[in-house]
Amino acid sequence: MSSNMKAPENTPVWVNTARCKACDKCVDVCPAGVLSMQPEPSSTLGAMISVIAPESCIGCGECELTCPDFAIYVADKSEFKFSKLTDAAKQRAEAITNNKYRLPAGY
Amino acid sequence: MAFNYDNFLRVDKMPTLWCWGCGDGVVLKAYIRAIDSLGWDKNDICLVSGIGCSGRFSSYVDCNTVHTTHGRTIAFATGIKLANPDKHVVCVAGDGDALAIGGNHTIHGCRRNIDITLILINNFIYGLTNSQTSPTTPQGFWTVSQQAGNIDPTFNACKLAIAAGASFVGREKVSEPKKLEKLIAKGLAHKGFSFVEVLSNCHINLGRKNKMNSAMENLDWIDSITVSKTKYDNMSEEDRKNLLPTGILHEDDNAKEYCEMYEQVRQVHQGKRKTITQDDFAKKI
Repeated sequence: MSSNMKAPENTPVWVNTARCKACDKCVDVCPAGVLSMQPEPSSTLGAMISVIAPESCIGCGECELTCPDFAIYVADKSEFKFSKLTDAAKQRAEAITNNKYRLPAGY
Repeated sequence: MAFNYDNFLRVDKMPTLWCWGCGDGVVLKAYIRAIDSLGWDKNDICLVSGIGCSGRFSSYVDCNTVHTTHGRTIAFATGIKLANPDKHVVCVAGDGDALAIGGNHTIHGCRRNIDITLILINNFIYGLTNSQTSPTTPQGFWTVSQQAGNIDPTFNACKLAIAAGASFVGREKVSEPKKLEKLIAKGLAHKGFSFVEVLSNCHINLGRKNKMNSAMENLDWIDSITVSKTKYDNMSEEDRKNLLPTGILHEDDNAKEYCEMYEQVRQVHQGKRKTITQDDFAKKI
């Protein structure tokens, strides 16, 4: 029994939108501002997760571990070259958290 | 290579029926990763769940599962384990399930020290039936059944399990998923009764009326009432008030396991040995 799945090419983090319930947890734990909620009228809570800055992902995997709905996956370190945590990424993460998990204007 | 949870899930039942941000999903994920880290075959595992939000576990995990009546998880699991001593039996129950209606089964499962792992998901409320007071609801919280504020004192579930005789007792919270996975793996691997209490969020039915409207606010509150066991041990009695330690709180590898003792009873009745005396036990009174 293989317990691994292959990551899509050149993708650090990807989402199964059929399972996401837009609980904001992954956006809250992301230290690099990679994730953000986007308006989505067809979703129950009116929002859907989206990967806005894949190039900033540091591969910590916190979003995958905290997701209760098996909706978000992070690639392995052998599959993608993750970046280091930058100050700009930290600021973007803080701005997103302070803006109710939506990407504020100007980013 | 990302971890593929779908091998351990009944994919046709997805997405889960739990509310958005529910801690139960995080526990399910940690449980799946723990099973994978131990390398167990899913055909050798039986998961028993009761009634409540935690009862949905048996619908989502792809292994042998039993969805039992309210509070009777340990009772069913004891029978399953005695009939199949070589298989792994896991119970998943909520705080209302395992401490209120099933409190009696829980303490006697602990007392027998039978090789079952009980994952107790403590969300401090009866979540499925819309916020009635559970044995772990903190005093002063609003609940449907005590709208002036809860006056009932709470159980400390881990202290209860240690006193009742469980040989492995640990507590963790859903905001620390990596530690949770390790604790569940240790509990599963332990021979004897393993009691793992997981502090979980219910921002819908607990948080809504208690100023914790989102999952994150509820998890922050759980973080504020917990402290790691190492820190807790170095604290003064005064500072420990209202705090719960997390980590492995009790581990005893010498306690006799119930299935082994039951095997001796079978041998007596088969004429292979005479009787069981006090000398067969480590603990004598």
